[in-house]
Amino acid sequence: MMQIIVQGLLLSGLYALIAMGFMLIFSIGRTLNLAYGAYIMVGGYMYFWLSQQLGMPQVIGFLGAVSVGALIGLLKHRLIVKPLKGDAVAVEIATLILALITQFALVLIFGDASKILLPLIPGVVTVAGAQVTYNILAATVMSWIIILALYAFVRGTHTGRAMQAVSMDEKGAAISGIDPDRINMITWGISGALGAAGGVFFASYTQLSPQMWLAPVIISVAIVIVGGIGSIIGTLIVAHIIGFLEITVVAVLAPELRGVLTMVLIIGVLIMRPQGLFGREEH
Amino acid sequence: MIPFNRGTNNWEKKMTFGRSIITGLAASLLASTAMAEVKVGFIGSLSSDTGLSTLRGAEIAIEELNAAGGMNGEKIVLVSADTAEDVTEGVKAYEYLAETEEVDFIISGSIDDVSLGWLPRMQEYQIPTLDTWTSYIGIIDMVVEDPELMAPYFMNIASDEALATLYINFGADVLKAKMGWDSVVILAEDTAFGEAITGLVTEALGPVAGIEVKDIITYDVGTVDFAPLFSKAQASGADFIYQVSSVNSQVISSQYVKLQVPMAMTGVNVSALGLEYWEDTGGAGGGISTLSPIPSVGFELDPESQKFVDTYQSKYDSRPKMPHFNGFNAYWGLKQAMAAAEAAGGFEDAAKWAKEMEKQDITLKKDGKLWLRYAFWGADEVEEVTGRTYPHNARFDLTAPYDDAQPSMVVIQWKEDGGVGVVYPPEYATTDFTVPSWVK
Repeated sequence: MMQIIVQGLLLSGLYALIAMGFMLIFSIGRTLNLAYGAYIMVGGYMYFWLSQQLGMPQVIGFLGAVSVGALIGLLKHRLIVKPLKGDAVAVEIATLILALITQFALVLIFGDASKILLPLIPGVVTVAGAQVTYNILAATVMSWIIILALYAFVRGTHTGRAMQAVSMDEKGAAISGIDPDRINMITWGISGALGAAGGVFFASYTQLSPQMWLAPVIISVAIVIVGGIGSIIGTLIVAHIIGFLEITVVAVLAPELRGVLTMVLIIGVLIMRPQGLFGREEH
Repeated sequence: MIPFNRGTNNWEKKMTFGRSIITGLAASLLASTAMAEVKVGFIGSLSSDTGLSTLRGAEIAIEELNAAGGMNGEKIVLVSADTAEDVTEGVKAYEYLAETEEVDFIISGSIDDVSLGWLPRMQEYQIPTLDTWTSYIGIIDMVVEDPELMAPYFMNIASDEALATLYINFGADVLKAKMGWDSVVILAEDTAFGEAITGLVTEALGPVAGIEVKDIITYDVGTVDFAPLFSKAQASGADFIYQVSSVNSQVISSQYVKLQVPMAMTGVNVSALGLEYWEDTGGAGGGISTLSPIPSVGFELDPESQKFVDTYQSKYDSRPKMPHFNGFNAYWGLKQAMAAAEAAGGFEDAAKWAKEMEKQDITLKKDGKLWLRYAFWGADEVEEVTGRTYPHNARFDLTAPYDDAQPSMVVIQWKEDGGVGVVYPPEYATTDFTVPSWVK
């Protein structure tokens, strides 16, 4: 039981970190950014290239990954989202294609074989009978720091409040003097940075592979749909529900069913409470 | 004059026409002689170490055969079809080779599930086919049940039953007798390969090696988080983990190392069969042991096999740096397939070719001792240990001193310093089996 609690807490922290950037874009940019997984993938590979292949310090590798993630987010907004503004389907298709192009590009550069990212912080500690790596502990701590910082930023800064305003009513925000285009661009940049940061931890916890972008996107979609639009707290809580659900299913039922109950949960929430457990109703 | 001229012209025209026909026929005959070729089709993944090992082994064999005059004077050419290790793509690839390329012979580097996918196509087209990686005993059972339909099929790797049987010996001699382990938890991927190995090991470990199977945990091949699975394995109370992993195997082994799971783990880990394993796991792969078909990494090579590896390494500078066992199988197997075709007058009569293929036998020696043997079991020949037949399956020997053929497999182990060696059987061992430093 304690093993489930420990592993559930750690996995949930990682999921929350991964889903946060996706939630921002979905809430503020109103875009189902299917290329979000590309940030995660590029973040992981960039860290691998800088720190593991070039031998640079891990901090440089991490900052490089986050910077490239933010840059890709900004470019995506400028080159794809803005020109296609108003056509949600076209944006979704374009982002999906972009994710696939990123996948093919990484195959060309790094090859098709999976790679193992060394832990950012090596070492293991036994907690309540479960083997816990310092790496996943760091990921959880980092995820909480980032989430709290994001919460403070959104609640306590002018730009953050502007992001909230745009997420609620873009036209109303514009009338109030907020530049929605600028806010959207900042959001895409932050989302890219968050995705890349999550990618470094996710890859070091699991693996690096050109197909690794899909699983985090599914997890993010699940968390955001169940949590609801525009809720950092909702994202955090649902990340924990899904994380614990997965760990419990593996431990108690069968490993093959790991993602199945999550899917059932999505369908259930879509039917019973379309705005999500913690989301506001859209008008 | 005119009639004469006309007649002369007619005669000349007829002669010219006749000469043209003769010249044309001769030209086409010469052209057809020059163009005659034997077409070999490769089926397998073009982006995996497994697929590339078979492809490159076949390429080297074809180069050498062509340099020696080809097959019955005909040039051998190679075309390839990518399966991307996907069952549907595999079926399409086989159809492409059969219908579009109209190949004479197919050499496969497919994984088990993919081979099972295209097998009905092979039965339909009756194209002589050699599998160099797939080891699924169910296919050999099909040869037993319907030898006519399965005549064109050969598997030149020991089937998984033979692999598992020798592993049971390893269990009894090393895991039980030397390490003192009494129970095991099996951690197996959800594939045909995983199911077959799990079934065979489960059936025999208890009664033969005296090791109790406490639990069997099956996981999806897409699993990337093994922490809860290792916890479940620990909770079983078993002495060690037996892993069965052929897809993305470096993930399970690296997480085992990163988590420092306090239980020993051995079994089948396909990623550990290549020299790239250490690099792929970022060095987080020490302590992992796996059974491996022969020759494996860490395996001492005879001079002929070493020559093949030298040629391979001078020809290719990309991964895999050293061919996996199926690369050796492809190299020798393709030569045997061509020799059989020469004796059978080609590949057209698959049954006749199969009869000649059954006779192929290459023995490689090291220090005067039989080291490797590329041959096939006779249709009615019963293997003593398992008490069954293995028609069209690679010949193997399950009992020391392995004087009829090589063992069906060896157990290799990667050490924490990045070294790798054979730990079982003793006749082929280069190092001792040890547990990782964090396992008490």
